[in-house]
Amino acid sequence: MKTSIEYAALAPIEILLTAGVLSILIEAFVPRIHRRTLQLFLVFGSIVVAFGYLVASATQILNGNASVTGGQTQGIRELAASGSVAIDGPGLFTQGTLLIVAFIGAMLFAERSVDPQGDAFAARASTLPGSEDERQFTAQGWTQTEVWPLFLFAVGGMLLFPVSNDLLTMFVALEVLSLPLYLLAGMARRRRLLSQEASLKYFVLGAFSSAFFLFGSALIYSIAGSVEFGTIATALTNTLQDPILLAGIGLIAVGLLFKVGAVPFHQWTPDVYQGSPTPLVAFMGAGTKIAAFGALFRTFYVAFGGMRWEWRPMMWVVAILTMLIGSILAVTQSDIKRMLAYSSVAHTGFILIALTATSPAGLSSSLFYLLAYGFTTLGLFAVVSIVRDSSGEATHLSQWAGLGKKSPLVASTFALFLFALAGIPLTSGFTAKFAVFAAGVAGGVTPLVIVAVISSAIAAFFYARVVVLMFFTPENENTADVVVPSYFTKVAIAVSATATLVLGIAPQPVLDAVVNAGLFVR
Amino acid sequence: MSGESVVFWITGIFAVVGALGMIVSRKAVHSALWVAFAMVNLAILYFTLEAPFLATTQIVVYTGAVMMLFLFVLMIVGVDSSDSLLETLKGQRLLAILFGLAFGALLISAITSTISVRNNGLEVANGDYGGNIQGLAHLIFGRYLLAFEVTSALLITAALGAMVLAHRERWTPRKTHIEMSKERTFSNQVTPLPNPGVLARHNAVDTPALLPDGSPSQASLPVQFRETAQDSDNSKEVTS
Amino acid sequence: MNPNNYLILAAILFTIGAFGVVIRRNAIIVFMSVEMMLNAANLAFASAAHTTGSLDGQVIAFFVMVVAAAEVVVGLAIIVTIFRTRRSASIDEANLLKY
Repeated sequence: MKTSIEYAALAPIEILLTAGVLSILIEAFVPRIHRRTLQLFLVFGSIVVAFGYLVASATQILNGNASVTGGQTQGIRELAASGSVAIDGPGLFTQGTLLIVAFIGAMLFAERSVDPQGDAFAARASTLPGSEDERQFTAQGWTQTEVWPLFLFAVGGMLLFPVSNDLLTMFVALEVLSLPLYLLAGMARRRRLLSQEASLKYFVLGAFSSAFFLFGSALIYSIAGSVEFGTIATALTNTLQDPILLAGIGLIAVGLLFKVGAVPFHQWTPDVYQGSPTPLVAFMGAGTKIAAFGALFRTFYVAFGGMRWEWRPMMWVVAILTMLIGSILAVTQSDIKRMLAYSSVAHTGFILIALTATSPAGLSSSLFYLLAYGFTTLGLFAVVSIVRDSSGEATHLSQWAGLGKKSPLVASTFALFLFALAGIPLTSGFTAKFAVFAAGVAGGVTPLVIVAVISSAIAAFFYARVVVLMFFTPENENTADVVVPSYFTKVAIAVSATATLVLGIAPQPVLDAVVNAGLFVR
Repeated sequence: MSGESVVFWITGIFAVVGALGMIVSRKAVHSALWVAFAMVNLAILYFTLEAPFLATTQIVVYTGAVMMLFLFVLMIVGVDSSDSLLETLKGQRLLAILFGLAFGALLISAITSTISVRNNGLEVANGDYGGNIQGLAHLIFGRYLLAFEVTSALLITAALGAMVLAHRERWTPRKTHIEMSKERTFSNQVTPLPNPGVLARHNAVDTPALLPDGSPSQASLPVQFRETAQDSDNSKEVTS
Repeated sequence: MNPNNYLILAAILFTIGAFGVVIRRNAIIVFMSVEMMLNAANLAFASAAHTTGSLDGQVIAFFVMVVAAAEVVVGLAIIVTIFRTRRSASIDEANLLKY
């Protein structure tokens, strides 16, 4: 047996995981006062290096051996690490998107001007909420710099998840990305009880769903005799043992649909979004969704592509329920983070249309959608983190009344992101939705697109409600203040807003890129 | 009946009994012991499935480490923390039973309707490398080397997470020996405090020592037993 | 003996575990039920390795044990933190986020 790992092909993942280990060493050996600076250099440096490497190798391989068959660019296709990892166009594009999201997410993690006490994470997560210890640590300005290694490991897991080419690597990557997120979810500086509760719920439901993923893998393995996607695909076409395969596919779908937050596995989303520290919500909400959709597409297109007529009806039901329930429940929310959580559920439904279309256009449109959605989510939660009152973030909707008069710039930026979510023309959301709907119609799932348009209309109602509240409702004594953040958050919001506009006005280069990314390697 | 099926039916039924015992026990400790029982039975099944390495690891890792960790935590949380089996959501349990039965029936019917003609056994696969453990080693350090390497990130995360959530740090510098002795010397109590029960009727820890004038000394008692502390302490008692 | 019997046993154990997650409210018992589900998956992998004649299933079961051990550490740390804050390990009492 050949024992080889193509370290060059896996460089982005290796860079991030190595940075995570270095970051642990910094925690262990560097005096407390220097840790933050070093960690920031390490985190931003490793993300930039990994991204540079990714872009360089992608262009090199693309120029070198891009083969064109039938007018369709095949893109990069290569298996690495004895078949554990697939290096192909969609995988590399997803990794690039994730690194961008991680960079902006890290900027929000690093912000410590919006809260007078420090950053968004508890001074010491081990202290009891409300205890003397907690007060002392906070007063002395301690910060939990251990969030950085956890962050780096989460990013490393996210990078591996969408390129895993067998069910075992996918399972390990799923856990590598999830465990740090469970921990970080419980480390908020304010409202710590809510945060710890969010962490518990996220953990219990996450472990539950990964058990489903595993049992499904076991059933598939019992038929295919291998967990490698290519072998599974060949084995599925040669067997007629449908029931056990269907059970396996269904159980794997449960595990993956949980991670993207699709109905009926969405119950964790509102609680975790509301309770967790806001920078984490921004990073997790964008990153997990991108990584998990990457994995979902790869599993269902590569391994189970031959059985698409069996799993498509299931995805139809899930997509319809996800779009409708997400939009309808979002209307009833009075907390802004909870509302955005339900809106993220609705968006999961829109991307599921692209999955159900099972076509190259479905894949490329979902890549564009995820990029656009990532920027919008980061921007939204960055704005949420700077709208505050004396006790922390002002998340109740009534506190946003009249924000447009108090702080026109912030309110209009937030409105821009909301328009992007709603899919108003000239924003990235419009292009993304248009691409996905077009792929859906071409892929023969027109009824799903009709449901999507209806739920978009419902969703537009609550986005509009927030905009009306901000601009056309008089300010009252409850209206929150907008804190002036440091350059970290300012740049994060500016970049997200610019990307949202550019992807709406001039999306063609990126649309070409996602088409050129080609198909999954088999 | 072959030897394999005898073992299967005995340990299989035991494993199911263990799993059922876990979900019906009121006390968490009983649940943990039932789970350990089920896991040992699964280990025996691994032997019949020609997986001796897995069987050993199952006993060492699962019953030895994982379940012991559970028991440690149960001891921290309070051994007699028992779960009331009352429903809080009305009808939830009935619904859960119905869904559970339907789910299980669906899964089992899916499995039974698959006619498995193959039962290849592992002689060939083991023979390729000269044994079960050698074969596993070839796969772990060959085909699945990447997963093996990435697992290290998982273990580091776990250790770091446990430390972040559970390790309490000091926010004041620790007192040196010199500082402590100075403090002691300049305090009102240079000598050690009297022991409980000295000159009293009993020598139990909750019996105050009698001072030379015959009055009981609260200072001789551990903090928990002092009269002043006792009243406020009741509220802090561990609830379960 | 029919090799499917092992898979059926695994499915029964998996269902019991899933059932335990849904009906029990003590976070630690819920978590034990998840471990039971992972064990059921391991049994399925080991039996599938036997029927298909490949060692991959046994390797995967081994990896699952490693992953489960890490998961247990993180999960119990979270549960202990919550317990120290609230003096209760009941999932029902962790309901500040519901309204």
